[in-house]
Amino acid sequence: MTSATITREKKISRAATLWITQVVSGLLLIVILALHMISHHFVVEGGLRDYQQVLAYVQNPLVFVLELVFIVTATAHALIGVRAIILDIGLSEGAKRTLNWILAVIGVITLIYGAWLAIALQQL
Amino acid sequence: MAQQISSTKEDTPSRPLTAWFDVRKRRVGSWAFALNRLTGLGLVLYLFLHLAVLSLLVQGEEAWDQFVALAKNPLFLFLDVVLIFGLLFHALNGIRVALVGMGIGIKSQRSMFWILAAIGAILLVISAFLVFTK
Repeated sequence: MTSATITREKKISRAATLWITQVVSGLLLIVILALHMISHHFVVEGGLRDYQQVLAYVQNPLVFVLELVFIVTATAHALIGVRAIILDIGLSEGAKRTLNWILAVIGVITLIYGAWLAIALQQL
Repeated sequence: MAQQISSTKEDTPSRPLTAWFDVRKRRVGSWAFALNRLTGLGLVLYLFLHLAVLSLLVQGEEAWDQFVALAKNPLFLFLDVVLIFGLLFHALNGIRVALVGMGIGIKSQRSMFWILAAIGAILLVISAFLVFTK
């Protein structure tokens, strides 16, 4: 097997992994966002929770876990989607690697911020 | 013959990033492809904006409740409905694209698109009603 074939197979494998990640994260997001819209907006008098109501809601352990799952799935889904759109420009291999790094850094910063926020809200 | 409406290579324009946005004289699949991307980009922007706004909670009760008061004005409520449209379109079209991508319903994807569009329209009307009446 030539190195070109191995590289092509790796690319196909990566594309398949990203596609499956998009599908799974997308399905999870549909469930989590439906719960979010109903519990945060549609069943709340006035459509939005006030400060005390938000704290009581997010300090529920199950909601805390759901919020963490949401931030991971939403970040992954968003950045993989943005990557797909940008790749349509037709980037060189070097530019693709740079793009992957930039998106990975944005993803890590977002996850750290989201985790910090979720934990900080537990301590208020 | 069923019209191809999935986000396949066939639907991906040859002049990417500029051409996919131009849907004039194109099939419904190209409209779905372009709108899926536009709603996706809008939702990404909203995600980061939403995360930034949530930091108001850490600043205290006054900061959050001031934002809540602002978010209840009619312009914000209208933007909520636009957001819900984006979520519904992206989610329902995403389900169709995922199913077709897995080889499910390829021949009936055109009817699947319109069935999901009808479901989305009903959910949008219900959501808009709740947004403006709650």
